[in-house]
This record gives sequence, structure tokens and C-alpha cells, in this order.
Amino acid sequence: MIKISGLSKSFGNLAVLNGLELFVKKGEAFSILGKSGTGKSVTLKCIAGLLIPDAGEIIVDSITVDAANIRDLRTIRRKIGFLFQGGALYDSMTIIENLIFNLSHHLKIPRAMAADKSENYLTLVGLKESMNKLPSELSGGMKKRAALARALVIEPQILLCDEPTTGLDPITSGEISELIRRLHDQFQVTAIVVTHDILCAGIVSDRAGVLEDGILKYTGSINELAGIDDEKVAGFFKSPL
Amino acid sequence: MKRFFTHLYELASFSFRFVKEALVPPYEFGELVSHLEDFGSRSLPLVSAIGLLMGLILALQTKPTLARFGAESFLPAMVAISVVRELGPVITALIVAGRVSSGIGAEIASMRVTEQIDALEVSTVDPYHFLVVPRVIAAVIVLPLLTAYADFLAIIGAFIVMFVTGDMGWQLFITSTLNSLSISDIVPGIAKTFFFGYIIAIVGSYFGFRTEGGTEGVGKAATSSVVFASFIILIADLVLVRVGIILFG
Repeated sequence: MIKISGLSKSFGNLAVLNGLELFVKKGEAFSILGKSGTGKSVTLKCIAGLLIPDAGEIIVDSITVDAANIRDLRTIRRKIGFLFQGGALYDSMTIIENLIFNLSHHLKIPRAMAADKSENYLTLVGLKESMNKLPSELSGGMKKRAALARALVIEPQILLCDEPTTGLDPITSGEISELIRRLHDQFQVTAIVVTHDILCAGIVSDRAGVLEDGILKYTGSINELAGIDDEKVAGFFKSPL
Repeated sequence: MKRFFTHLYELASFSFRFVKEALVPPYEFGELVSHLEDFGSRSLPLVSAIGLLMGLILALQTKPTLARFGAESFLPAMVAISVVRELGPVITALIVAGRVSSGIGAEIASMRVTEQIDALEVSTVDPYHFLVVPRVIAAVIVLPLLTAYADFLAIIGAFIVMFVTGDMGWQLFITSTLNSLSISDIVPGIAKTFFFGYIIAIVGSYFGFRTEGGTEGVGKAATSSVVFASFIILIADLVLVRVGIILFG
């Protein structure tokens, strides 16, 4: 369960989040829609404790993130798989080493067991053949798949995805969105996906919200959002056509 | 000017954190070995060339002056003492700063802008502990070894000059060199390279960590690392020379 109340965050004079409220129940997949620079990624980073909010409260499974000490923050992060916008794969390691590194630090399991598990997850995302390649040798879509495998290999209870389809062609975007949905259903994780891609949000999420002026202005199912009489919201639905 | 002092203040608190972090497990031995290889063996060709050239140039430059006073026989002693006490440590540190500090700055900055450092944090890995501590330890171990090697090659360079001009045989050169050097020359010269190694790695890490923006930020981090590290090495040398004189005469 993730509950955010009154979340505010500014960078200098620029107020990015301005009292954001959000509740995502256990096992739910929620998409945050919004144009570039509206604070979608900032919201995710606040949830993971990577950014400290100026005001408000974030509760992840009964731990208050913004007031957590290092030990509590580690407890929260052990539950989180984070898919970064550019993948953020460690470029000095091969793809499988990226997963093994994540596993051995998150769960402290022996290397041989971590290697087996990593191979299984890379098979799941269709990258078994490329597991010994470096990130620089992969295409954009393959990097996203590898990053998704790295996020999921720790078997997180919460999956945070930052623009999972940005920079990908429509076919690969659809494949990645389907993959996230399938893995969400398979592992029953609570997921928050930030995106400006309405097709991705439609495939991945149970509910979605539109982030505007630092708050979630509208929330509901994708069909409900499609019916809202607001030019900015309608813009998301027009763009894919 | 204000920005310069802000950097100095932030750099000081960034570097003090190392003392605490270095003592706390887990110890990243794999990372340490990889950086020892990177900073050490990959710096060898550059340090070899610079060390040899340093000795050749120093001998060629000072030989005519010594000859004017009929004191050519003092050349091995003069080169050995200058190189071991001052030129070897400082020039090696500046050269290694150019290669290693900029490399560390660019690498960590690149990890910052591509969110790899955020990914480490989410993986419950302390980025400072994982990225900074092994690099600093590796630089502190490697620089004294590289300096001793550069000193040796510089003395060889000076010998080449004396041998080619036919002014001194190798036995006399070695005897003069060894007789001229004492512990009070060698210890301060090598001791300060531990500080220089620390400065090289900590400055590169600091500028890498505080990078903002995209590729432009990476370039700035690399440049600032070299400029700041070189400047602080010279300031530290000024202090350490004075300390060396007080302790060893």
C-alpha cells in the first residue's frame, strides 16, 4: 500500500509538486500521466526516498518514507523494484552481472543461486541469449527489458516504472507495456508507472491519474479519463492518433 | 571566488566522510583490485615516459651549469635529491591527477546523469561506500609505488646523459647517487604521495558526485577534477615540504 498526502517539492523557485495526494492499494497498478516537467519522476523518486520532499507524507507499507532513518529506508527499498527512464544499467557490468549485483546486495544470497535466478528472469524477458553482453551492446528496447528484469529479480512487492516506453518505437513500446502488465499479473506487485504514453497506461494500469500543476487533477480508469471534458486531458488521447 | 571557497568547504566535508566509511563493512575487495589495476598498471606507460624524460631533462639542463663551476661530479647527487625529495612526487602526482582524477570525475559523473547512482541507492548500496572508498584506497596505494618507479627512471635518465657524454662510469654514478641519498630524503618524498593519492581520488569523486545536467556536466566534472586536484596537490606540497623539513631536516 502506498499513501501520499500533501506532497510538495520545489527546485529553487520552481514548485514541481504542490500538495499531491495519492492512494494505491496493494496489488494495484496505477499510472501517473503528465507532460514533461510536471513532476512525475520526482514523485517516484520521493516514494523511493531518493528525493526528500519539502512537505507532505509518504507511507509505504506502514513506514513513513520522508521520516525514515537509514535502516527503515533500507527496509522500504528492499520491497521496491525501480525501472529507471534510461534503464540505469551499470555499464561496467554485463547484463547478468547487473542482476546478480542487485540480488546479492538486496537479498544477500550466494552468487551461484543469484546467477541461476538472474538467468531465469532474463529468460522471462527474452534476453537469455544476450545475458553476457554489456549494456552498450543492447538496443533501447533490450535495455528496457534488462532493466525490468533487474527490477523484478529481487521479487519486489512494489514496482516503480519511470517512463518505460520513452524513446522506443510503437511496436517495442507495446511489447514492453504488455510485458510489464504480464509480470505485474504474474507476481501481483503494486505498481506505479509514470508515463506520457496513453497506450502504455491503458495496457499497464488498473487506474490512472493526470498530474497537472503539482497535483493529481483527475483519477479514474483510462475509460473514465477519456470521457473528461478537459483539453489537456483530451490531448493525451489524441496524441497516439 | 565565492564558488571556489564553497567547493573547498564541500570538498572538506566530502573527504572527511571517507574516514568513517572506510572502516565500515562491506569491504569491496573486487572493486579495489579493479581500481588498483586501472590506476596502477594502466598509468605505467605514461609514468615511465615522464620519469625517464624528467631525469634526461634535469641532467641536460644542469650539467653545463655544474661544469662552469667544475662540479659535474655532483650531478648524480643533485638529480637524485631533487627527484626523490620534490620533482618525482609532485610531477608524478600531477601526471596521475590528469589521468586518474579526470577519469574518476567523468566516470562517476556519467553514473550520476544516467541515474546509475540512484539505482545503487535503490539496491540498498551506499554509493559513497561502493564508488568512493575503493577508489581512494587504490589511489593511496598506487601513487607511492608509481612515484618510486618514476624516481628510479629519472635517475636512470640522468645516468644516460652522463654515460653518453662519457663523463662518468656506471659504478661511480651508482656510488655517488646512493651516498647522496639518506632516509631524510626518501621518507618525506614518498610519505607525501599518500596525501597526493588521497587528493587525486577524493577530488575526482567529489566533482563526479555533484554533477548536474547531461554530457556537459560530465565534461565539466572531468575538467574541474584535474584543475582542482592539481591546485590542491601544489598547496598540500607547500605544507608538506615545511612539515618534512621540521621532522627530517
